[in-house]
Amino acid sequence: MFSVSKDYAPPFAMVSPFFWIGSLFYLLGTVFLLFLNPDAGHFDMAIVGWAHWFLLGFMMMIIFGAMAQLVPVVVEVGHFSVDLYYVIWPLLLSGTIVMSMGFWFMPLILPYGGLIVLIAMIIFLFDTLMTLRKVTNITLTVKTVVASNLFLLTGIVIGFVMSLAVGSGLEVDIGRWLGLHAVMVLGGYVTLTIMGLSLILLPMFGLSHGFDETPINRAFKFMVTAVILHFVSTIIAWDFGQFAAIFMMFISVSLYLYQVFIIYKTRARKENDVWAKSMFFGYGSLLVALILGVVYTLFGGENILMSASWFLIMGFFSFLINGHLYKIIPFLVWFERYSPLVGKEKVPMLNEMLPHRMAHYEFIFSATGVAVAGIGILIGSGDLFKGGTIFVITGAGFMLGSVKWMLRYGK
Amino acid sequence: MCTITKEDVFAAVSTVIDPEVGFNLVEMGLIYDAIIEESCNIKVIMTLSTRGCPLHQMITQWVREAVEKLEGVDVVEVEVVWEPAWNISMADDNVKDALNG
Repeated sequence: MFSVSKDYAPPFAMVSPFFWIGSLFYLLGTVFLLFLNPDAGHFDMAIVGWAHWFLLGFMMMIIFGAMAQLVPVVVEVGHFSVDLYYVIWPLLLSGTIVMSMGFWFMPLILPYGGLIVLIAMIIFLFDTLMTLRKVTNITLTVKTVVASNLFLLTGIVIGFVMSLAVGSGLEVDIGRWLGLHAVMVLGGYVTLTIMGLSLILLPMFGLSHGFDETPINRAFKFMVTAVILHFVSTIIAWDFGQFAAIFMMFISVSLYLYQVFIIYKTRARKENDVWAKSMFFGYGSLLVALILGVVYTLFGGENILMSASWFLIMGFFSFLINGHLYKIIPFLVWFERYSPLVGKEKVPMLNEMLPHRMAHYEFIFSATGVAVAGIGILIGSGDLFKGGTIFVITGAGFMLGSVKWMLRYGK
Repeated sequence: MCTITKEDVFAAVSTVIDPEVGFNLVEMGLIYDAIIEESCNIKVIMTLSTRGCPLHQMITQWVREAVEKLEGVDVVEVEVVWEPAWNISMADDNVKDALNG
């Protein structure tokens, strides 16, 4: 029988830096948006630098911090060595800063940043894969976790090779490999990981039971097959294979959205707190990104690609991650500071450990900003994009304030 | 002869509250049974609202500690089972109403 003991739960001091740093990178990343021109296209070094700042410093930082807590919950065994997380965040932090500076100002230092990030991720993957070796109940979720981690490894090795191309002049066709790098990391790791975690977390927080899991199982298979097909197609320069892989990813995401709808329909807990609202907006953004992605794949258009990317990153990934921080941080704080007091004195409920008003403002400003700026990108209006960005920055400020409030609760 | 009743055990366990939802385990319908032996050894059979509950071990510990406070109790064992799987129909009406928002 499985349980998460004190030994399985990561020390609070170990995981809190991931959330502090992630939230700070999120706020600074939104401020940096003011200096970007979304019309410049996805090869623009300023945009690529921002993407790495945001995806590594915010998304990966928080995903890794959350994984210290969630890996045992998902795969039902304890970490191989959770202490490794003490070195992951300093490496990821320094590597991300060096990489972003490399993209923005000094391409020569890019490979050094890439190497530091690569080391951070290899340590993370080492712990995860060694943890998975202890698993005896090999479910589809466990297989998917294995696949997603191998995709991450492949994706970051490709990324490191590209950093050598940009910084040291290594002869690599960046145009050809950039798509694969994005597919491996964003589709193969981030999306698969979010799919797997949400299958656990959405029913847990919404109290959904007895629902059909066929759509998510098919979504996993489609995504894994699509990422492998895209990898092979890139290696042998097979355009149709890449095209087919992208459409398989669209099918996978569609199935995933259908699964989320099923979980939503069977939920017992109908309270629309800031977590639930964040999920609504996040999945709505994923639907918009999916539609724009299909339109771009069929008809082209840089504005459409950029707005699809915007809704995927700022709408879906950011709201899913930030929304879950309102659940994960209070739990970790409660576990650290209050669980030993249960039965001895009155302890707070998790709901009392949320800054409700600040979280509400965070949601309103962020959602408005993402929608307005996304439309700005789509119709090519720089003013609308900048206006929306101001809202997003304000929301990010409230997010950082909320994280600070939650982490310091009861201190 | 043990004088502890099933009602006593359920009353003791009803002091244990799930910090996520704010209801006690009995009104959530998570406590399936309590087996009381003549020697006052007690076995509580319960479930959790989700298999991956990160508080699994702590909740079972709280249940054990709550029952151990009963006068005359000997050994307390808590068994977590997954069949039948919990669903919201097992909860009291006040829980259902509150969760419905």
